[in-house]
Amino acid sequence: MKEKEGNKKGKQLSSVSRREFIKGLGAGALGTAALSGGIIALKEAEAHPAEESLEEGIKIPLRLKINGIRYKVEVEPRYTLVDVIRDQLQLTGTKKACDRGECGACTVLLDGKPVYSCMTLAITAAGRDIMTIEGLASGEELHPIQQAFLENDAFQCGFCTSGQIMAVNGLLKQNLNPSREEARNALAGNICRCGTYTRILEATLDASQRLRKGGGNRG
Amino acid sequence: MLTFSYYAPTSLNQACRLLSEAQGQARLLAGGTDLLIQMKRNLVKPQFLIDLKKIKRLKGIEYDPEKGLRIRALVTHSELLHNPWILGYYPILAQAAQTIGSVQIRNKGTVGGNLCHAVPSADLAPPLLVLNARAVVRGLKGKKFIPLEEFFCAPNQTILKDGEILQEIEVPRMPERSKAIYLKHGIRRAMEIAIVGVAVLMALKPDRRTCAEVRIALGAVAPTPIRVVEAENSLQGKIIAPEEIEKAASIAAAHAQPITDLRGSAEYRQEIVRVLTARAITHAARII
Amino acid sequence: MKHHNYSIIGHRQPAVDAASKATGQAQYTVDIQLPGMLWGKILRSKYPHARILNIDTSKAEKLAGIKAVITHKDTLGKKFGFVRNTADQYPLAVDKVRYIGDEIAAVAAVAEDVAEEALALIRVDYEVLPAVFDPLEAIDPEAPLIHDGQNNISARLAWEFGNVEEGFGESDFVRQDTFYTQPVNHCPLEPHACVASFEPPDHLTVWASTQGVFYLRNQLSRTLDMPISNIRVIRPQVGGAFGGKIELFPFNVCAAILSQKTGKPVKIVCTREEVFTATRCRHPMIIHLKTGVKKDGALVAVQARIILDGGAYNSTGPVATYLAGAFLCLPLKARNIKYEGFRVYTNKPVCGAQRGHAVPQIRFAIESQLDIIAETLGLDPIELHLKNAVQTGDVTLNKQVITSCGFSECLEKIKAQRSPALPEGKGIGFATCAFVSGATYHLFFTTEAFANAIIQANEDGTVSLITGVADIGQGSDTVLAMITAEELGIGVKDIKLITADTDLTPYDWGSGSSRVTYQAGNATKMAAAQVKKLLLEAVSHELDVYPEELVARDGRIFVRDRPEKGISFAEAVSLAQKSTGGEPIIGQGEFQPQEAKVNLQSGEGNTSPAYSFGAQLAQVEIDKELGKVKVTKMVVAHDCGLAINPMAIEGQIEGSIAMGHGQALYEELIQEKGQTLNADFINYRLPTARDVPEVETMLVESVDPGGPYGAKESGEGIIVSTIPAIANAISNATGGRIHSLPLTPEKLLKALEQKTK
Repeated sequence: MKEKEGNKKGKQLSSVSRREFIKGLGAGALGTAALSGGIIALKEAEAHPAEESLEEGIKIPLRLKINGIRYKVEVEPRYTLVDVIRDQLQLTGTKKACDRGECGACTVLLDGKPVYSCMTLAITAAGRDIMTIEGLASGEELHPIQQAFLENDAFQCGFCTSGQIMAVNGLLKQNLNPSREEARNALAGNICRCGTYTRILEATLDASQRLRKGGGNRG
Repeated sequence: MLTFSYYAPTSLNQACRLLSEAQGQARLLAGGTDLLIQMKRNLVKPQFLIDLKKIKRLKGIEYDPEKGLRIRALVTHSELLHNPWILGYYPILAQAAQTIGSVQIRNKGTVGGNLCHAVPSADLAPPLLVLNARAVVRGLKGKKFIPLEEFFCAPNQTILKDGEILQEIEVPRMPERSKAIYLKHGIRRAMEIAIVGVAVLMALKPDRRTCAEVRIALGAVAPTPIRVVEAENSLQGKIIAPEEIEKAASIAAAHAQPITDLRGSAEYRQEIVRVLTARAITHAARII
Repeated sequence: MKHHNYSIIGHRQPAVDAASKATGQAQYTVDIQLPGMLWGKILRSKYPHARILNIDTSKAEKLAGIKAVITHKDTLGKKFGFVRNTADQYPLAVDKVRYIGDEIAAVAAVAEDVAEEALALIRVDYEVLPAVFDPLEAIDPEAPLIHDGQNNISARLAWEFGNVEEGFGESDFVRQDTFYTQPVNHCPLEPHACVASFEPPDHLTVWASTQGVFYLRNQLSRTLDMPISNIRVIRPQVGGAFGGKIELFPFNVCAAILSQKTGKPVKIVCTREEVFTATRCRHPMIIHLKTGVKKDGALVAVQARIILDGGAYNSTGPVATYLAGAFLCLPLKARNIKYEGFRVYTNKPVCGAQRGHAVPQIRFAIESQLDIIAETLGLDPIELHLKNAVQTGDVTLNKQVITSCGFSECLEKIKAQRSPALPEGKGIGFATCAFVSGATYHLFFTTEAFANAIIQANEDGTVSLITGVADIGQGSDTVLAMITAEELGIGVKDIKLITADTDLTPYDWGSGSSRVTYQAGNATKMAAAQVKKLLLEAVSHELDVYPEELVARDGRIFVRDRPEKGISFAEAVSLAQKSTGGEPIIGQGEFQPQEAKVNLQSGEGNTSPAYSFGAQLAQVEIDKELGKVKVTKMVVAHDCGLAINPMAIEGQIEGSIAMGHGQALYEELIQEKGQTLNADFINYRLPTARDVPEVETMLVESVDPGGPYGAKESGEGIIVSTIPAIANAISNATGGRIHSLPLTPEKLLKALEQKTK
């Protein structure tokens, strides 16, 4: 049941000025640098253009970089990334199946790493590189991972497939020659109720081979 | 999810100020892997969400041969898995991190989040307990050091007061001739919340047969992750032998106070504590 | 195994929709966004059993962004149900709610969260009634009545063939056990969803994640009192179903009414929790089983008394109750059979069809018991099965006609795979299955034609296959395209599929009871043969040969003995069109199963036109201290008739094993006083990539005389043997026998403790 006790609109804490607030939001690239090795390297921050504050219930404009394309969206702080990319940007290849970070259908890459987009607030993805299934194929040509899925019959209903492929993509960005066990481990956060796991595993190893031959995973 | 106001401070000071000003109505956002689920289920309804991810001071792992390891609160589980210091000197932490959820969860979930949510089954808690870790807590009045054993108060409740933020975890060097291991009991091989978690650190005397020091911690079998000193005492100074191991394991089981829930009955959990404790001791004592 | 000369059939064919799925372009119902579309949400009962005194929607109606709020007053109050004459469910509760999740009201709003907010503003006054959750208590005459004016037995079927009492008298050994199975959910990853768009004055379009568009149309037509011709049901891609999307659901009706009220399209997507608690689950059963055998293992008598816990409504209840009894013995023969099945109403989520529909439960019981019997008598369980195996040409006691049967061959193949002595802590388990290739229509009391196909040849060398079949991810579109391509000698890529749209495609019952390959496959083959006949006739005139001398293959039509003499398929189509003065080249095919021979009351009759068979070995490793089971390998021999697409069949087998693995070991809806406590994917565990066993598949292709190219069922049967194979393997490894599903570590430790006592 939805309750709103006490949640008065427009409530704001005074400790941080609006300016600092906005600055804080803009420093998305910082996080990336810190995560990847503890070295702080400031990339060009996606400066937040808005003058609005991020108060509850109020939409604020946000820039998201998805598959190399910059999108302008309007979000409330509570909106999750999966809803924004599906409902606002119509990138419906990313699926929502549990909405609780428990099945992996919504997997996207955030700065190259697989995350559950249903457990990611859109606002925290500003300034970061987001990649969805739509960003994988170049034109009509399938990415080697997609081709491997196709040839290995690595899906049935296909609903988990986008998430599976993004999980594989994340793995093969980090490790181009995974063992079976490493691949299994990387796929364990993506449920396939049709039970095509063996094929997904085969497709993963097949794709890693294709990518090694092709000179790396640029997906 | 209900509405909330969002703050992304860039300094710990700001974050502490915001937190204390919010008077209990704010929640801190780190990886969000636990918090956002609770918010979606309306189990937690913060008016203010304070995102810590812009605070540089909360990131990174450091190691000093004298002082040991420093894991900042926003370090993700994935970082633990790939950090050379952890892999080299504290492999139990990587091993425990590996049992958490899935790669997606490990990429977002943080050490600070895992501890501050204070669920009895937190996978990093038993290993950090046997490593004698302490929490560095930052508040408006400055820094505090809290032994991890005193950090957890009750399910979902830590010792942190309003305005206090877990800044980092300090882990001293492991004793000489010691080895630590974490064993987790779950049904699936991934995406599991521990039914029982057992961590054991064993340090042997130079004879490599006598227990110089042993530390045993349990997860998911009490209101908080716990150390079982009674079981440790029974083994301390003894020559490691099957009957001593069994005895310590039985004491550990007896001191567990599990509840019956969806994941298992109290009786079953108690039995699993016994089995896993014995295995963990055996393992930690053997491979040095 | 290649024993034929087909160019398409029997070859490994990637799915026709593979590229769209691999790129995320495939459109599912949940992906549909229409201009002006509203979000619908359902208000559900908080109580397991209550009378509704009043519903006050006034506050919700005033909420900004709310476009409509409906209650039963906005419906026609017509009951619906899977089986027409046992319809007992309302689109929105009229008088009572009967389980936690029962539909009370629905809203349409500009956004999903607004709709959710509105639900909280609807005030329902309940008079809470005593509820009953245990089916054994529900049977008691004193129990609260869930449906007024009738007792809580929603279906009862009973029959006896031969005389079991005499049979037990003749037996050398009689064994009696009680087995229990658990409620499990289908968990399709795409939640149940639909989009309804009402176009004035009287036309309704519904996009639905459904297993059968025509079935859904008929149900909507009855519930909304609209002629079928005014309703168009379209199936976008379906993200998994497994039997759980075979029925009409109240939210379908609500979306339609909300759309009519608002003049806007309305989309309803169930939350995961709703999928778990307010769609359907597999029937939990209590199975009292008594079996008598001769010393050599010959089955003399089998008697089963089953209580099916049905939940609040009938759903597929009568069919489930029938199937549990009909598959009491098959793939084995017994001389005497007695069956009594009670399906009981309880104040819990509704149970219906799920992969294997009622057969996995009964087979868990009987295969476990046969394993116990074999062990007790010192017999090899595979030999015991061989001794009693059904054969081609057999007619079973309940009049199932076995037109093709590779069961004994499956057993022999499995026997050859069995490793001899196993180390401590390891075990193997063996079990078997049989399943239908679609049902005969009177089971469902539908009068409509059963399966149809239309094929039109295009002058560019492609053909359009128009079929009402709803592919739900199992790959049936690919199979039908392969059949069309084989028959016409063209490529699968040349087949353009127009499917599952009630306005555009001919009637088909849908993807259920493993019927598509056999039944729609036959219809498709017939339609393609008609097209081929028209083309061969035209070409025969052109080439001055008899049509019988011609062959269609590899995109050409040519003279069999002189392959160089021929023309391309495209040219043949143009030629045929010219020769008829421009008539389209269209073929039409249909399939009707034999006249109704199944009598639910007597249990007699041929359940299906053909039966699949299977045998299976599970290898397990057990941690006896923790009770943990790891299934390391599954070896399967499956008689699916001729394997049209071996790659897809192996996929179906792997899928059945993955699902069966979960349902054997850990899947269970935990319910307390009617409340489901684990309606999520952490506490209701589905197998992950790290959990499923390696699978080795051996196909036994008994060519069925009635199946297209000899094909039979392959999508469901194997889950039936997966579950008991694991149970038997656990017993083999540990000596502990668990009589209830799932086979959890905790139960195993208890069983081992009992054994040592």
